[in-house]
Amino acid sequence: MTLLLLLLIPLAAGVLLPLLPLPAATVRSGALVAALAQLGLGLWLWRHPSDDLSLNWLPQIGLRLDLGLDGLSLPLVLLAALLTAMAILTSPQDQNRPRLFYGLMLATNLGLVGSFLARNALLFVLAYELILIPTTLLVAIWGGPRRAGAAVRFLLYGAISGIALLTAVLAFGWLQNGGLDFSFRALAEHTLPSGQQRWILALVLLAFGLKLPVVPLHGWQPLTYSEAPTPVAMVLAGAVSKLGAYGLLRFGIEFLPDAWTAWASWIAAVGAISAIYGALNAIAQLDMRKLVAYSSLGHMGFLLLALAAATPLSLQGVIAQMLAHGLIIALLFCLVGLIETKTGTRAIPELSGLLNAQRGLPFTMGLMLLALMAAAGVPGQAGFVAELLVFEGSWVAYPWPTLVCLLSSGFTAVYAVRLFNRVGFGRLDNAKADWASTSWSERAPALVLTAFVVLGGIWPTLLTGLSEGDTAPLALRSSEAVTVIATSTPQELNA
Amino acid sequence: MTLPATAPAAATTTPLIPPSTHRYAEVIHRLEAGGSMLPDTPENLKQIIGIYKAYAVPMDFYWRDLLYIAEKVFLNPLPAFKYFISQEYLDRPNSYAGDQSKLRIWRGGEKAHPELLEFMARGETGKMPKLLHHLWHDRVNMEFAEACMQAMLWHQGMGGRFNDYLDSDAYKANADRAIRAYFRGNPLMLGLYKLFPEMFLEQVRQLSYYANLGLFWEVMAPVFFEMSDIYDEGGFNGVPDAMDFLVNGIFAVAGRPIYHHVFIGGECYEIIPKSEGFTWLYEAALPYVEAVFYRTSPFRGTKSYNAQAGQVPSDQADFHYGILYADVYPVGSAGIPPTLLMQDMLHFLPPYLKEIYKQHKRGEEDELIQLGITFQRSMYNVTSAVIQALRCALLYPLDDTDPEHLMANRRFFEAQMDRFLRPEARLSDIQSQDYR
Repeated sequence: MTLLLLLLIPLAAGVLLPLLPLPAATVRSGALVAALAQLGLGLWLWRHPSDDLSLNWLPQIGLRLDLGLDGLSLPLVLLAALLTAMAILTSPQDQNRPRLFYGLMLATNLGLVGSFLARNALLFVLAYELILIPTTLLVAIWGGPRRAGAAVRFLLYGAISGIALLTAVLAFGWLQNGGLDFSFRALAEHTLPSGQQRWILALVLLAFGLKLPVVPLHGWQPLTYSEAPTPVAMVLAGAVSKLGAYGLLRFGIEFLPDAWTAWASWIAAVGAISAIYGALNAIAQLDMRKLVAYSSLGHMGFLLLALAAATPLSLQGVIAQMLAHGLIIALLFCLVGLIETKTGTRAIPELSGLLNAQRGLPFTMGLMLLALMAAAGVPGQAGFVAELLVFEGSWVAYPWPTLVCLLSSGFTAVYAVRLFNRVGFGRLDNAKADWASTSWSERAPALVLTAFVVLGGIWPTLLTGLSEGDTAPLALRSSEAVTVIATSTPQELNA
Repeated sequence: MTLPATAPAAATTTPLIPPSTHRYAEVIHRLEAGGSMLPDTPENLKQIIGIYKAYAVPMDFYWRDLLYIAEKVFLNPLPAFKYFISQEYLDRPNSYAGDQSKLRIWRGGEKAHPELLEFMARGETGKMPKLLHHLWHDRVNMEFAEACMQAMLWHQGMGGRFNDYLDSDAYKANADRAIRAYFRGNPLMLGLYKLFPEMFLEQVRQLSYYANLGLFWEVMAPVFFEMSDIYDEGGFNGVPDAMDFLVNGIFAVAGRPIYHHVFIGGECYEIIPKSEGFTWLYEAALPYVEAVFYRTSPFRGTKSYNAQAGQVPSDQADFHYGILYADVYPVGSAGIPPTLLMQDMLHFLPPYLKEIYKQHKRGEEDELIQLGITFQRSMYNVTSAVIQALRCALLYPLDDTDPEHLMANRRFFEAQMDRFLRPEARLSDIQSQDYR
């Protein structure tokens, strides 16, 4: 029942807070408390694992409330809860239409955590689809000037993703057991013939490729990320996109291993293309939000490469990269949002000198430097650990795509330095530099995320420890030399 | 002391000459009416007087230490303690303050200002050994004063005869005597002097500029103290009054001597004797304004300049990196001299100025920038005084009735304003009270 509580908390808060006649500040606090309670419960479950839960819901169509928490889903549940809390904390105190806003934020969280907890494919689809509605509304109502176009595009791509996933899941269930049981256990029981696996995998790749997203399915991403309000962008880029990688891990690698192995080299190539395309586009951007959006696209390419390689090390890298990227990208959006709120612009050419100690935003820019370094994979931060695992784990399987991804990782440093140099240094325009400094309450979410980014860098177990036992069985190939070296004692190696 | 009065502001009803068409016509008309480049508003007056007071206190240290270095430290090859001024120089009577002064500008005492002494003892951090205050930069930052001196030395040739004299045989002979006396009994240094005489001479020339600037600021500190006292008594009615006081002060002390004496073994060596007739206005004040207010040097402030891209003029006379053009935003550390000056002034702000800063921008958080901009305003006022003084000395009264004379004045003012046509000039900024 504890697992159910993880869902009941955002559900109850998401329904009650908008309906009760509470002041706006209380609604915000209530939503924050709910997210933090979910995070606390998740941490408790880390130390006190709970048995899977299975309740009948609509058994006629194979829909059961099968919930479980393993090493793959627990880190992502914690990430979703943390990012929801930080997103709520990032939202302005005087949030417009607060009841609806926080209700939708909690609904998004419900869908996210529901997806990660689901042990039933239909339940997964249900939770997956649930996310689309509140996030679309959040973009459409609270987004930037081009929010209508962004929301429509996000909805269309999301709908295609949902339809593709539903079709894949239904086909998978029917082919496996006549559509009687959609539980993960039942779906993994028999391996489908290779031919059937392939067209189901095609749908799965379409569904989750749109969610990640990767090239060429990324059409919604730059616009949506740049138009979404900051808290929503944090959750979308930090947590919702991870659902794509998680889905590929669950459905692609775990349930469709033959087809995955057959197409892995193409998937790796798409990952490499995404990485380089994202990085090069990020270099060309003049809008900080779009730069971060394309940076995210590039990093999703790393994830796809590691998934394609499917070695024990690369799969550890997948989880580590999901966590690291989730934290870093949320931090970047948080900081860009803070800069935009204070300066009134996010256009790179219009900003300079923000490092100025007296009139700039030195604290924000200091954290921005750290976040950009983390995104570029500088050692000592979470990004380095994750990228090292991804590249080392993928190298043995796909050296050329890994090299391309390494190159794009180098480009990350280019746009990071370019952004920081232009925005941080130079002359602060006196006519424009007329904003208040950031308060501690505004800095708090960025500080918390930064703490995790640094902690992940100096204590990598935070990124890999939870999932180590669960990623290894999913590996479709060994890490060969890398694994041997990593697991051998010095005596064995000498022998 | 009674300062001579300047010409009254022109108050003609029918203009004798047509309006100026210069980009800064409004400022030129204000100058022609006896005003300052700085608009006459109560807040501007409060700001500039307040900052003069805050500037005068560290300046009281600057001039004493500059003279201490020029006269006592002299050619010490390891001058690590040159900022540890001796008690003798702290007590040295200011020639323009106190009962014994020949030309009393400030009614206060002749020794170091009480606020300065209090700060030197405690600093920001509290009472601790002088060395720790020094290393922690919790002190008056002489680096700014030295940067000003270096600007004067480097630009040279800005009028007056001082710079030419530094190459004269008489100067070389005087310097030679002092060098030999200073290194008497030190064969190593005397040997080096024999090998590289020009190196030592150049150091002495620099020390002469130390003395020059020290003597210049010995005048300015009491001027600013007196202005602050007059303001506190309600004595200034507007910015032009404050400027007039400066103009009168300039004329009053214009002929005061500029010299360089060195004290070695209790004996005085006159490297630049008073008898040479170098004067405060032509050999110190005007070169100082030119070198420090207008020119200084690139790479000194907040922005780096690319010489290869032609961003640095090839002619030093075209330099424009002084306070009148400066970007007062410090970037990065506080190591640059103008920032150190702001830090020095921060310790001595009068309460009314602190109150203004609290009410604007980020309040106490960005006081350093706000006072930097105030300093810029105040230096535009000082420059206005210099321009008016030059006009007074070289051209015609403002209330002259001859249109030819008025046109000559006009051409002079327009030529001065031409120096502020470049985009970096802050003249247009200071016209607005919102520039903070």
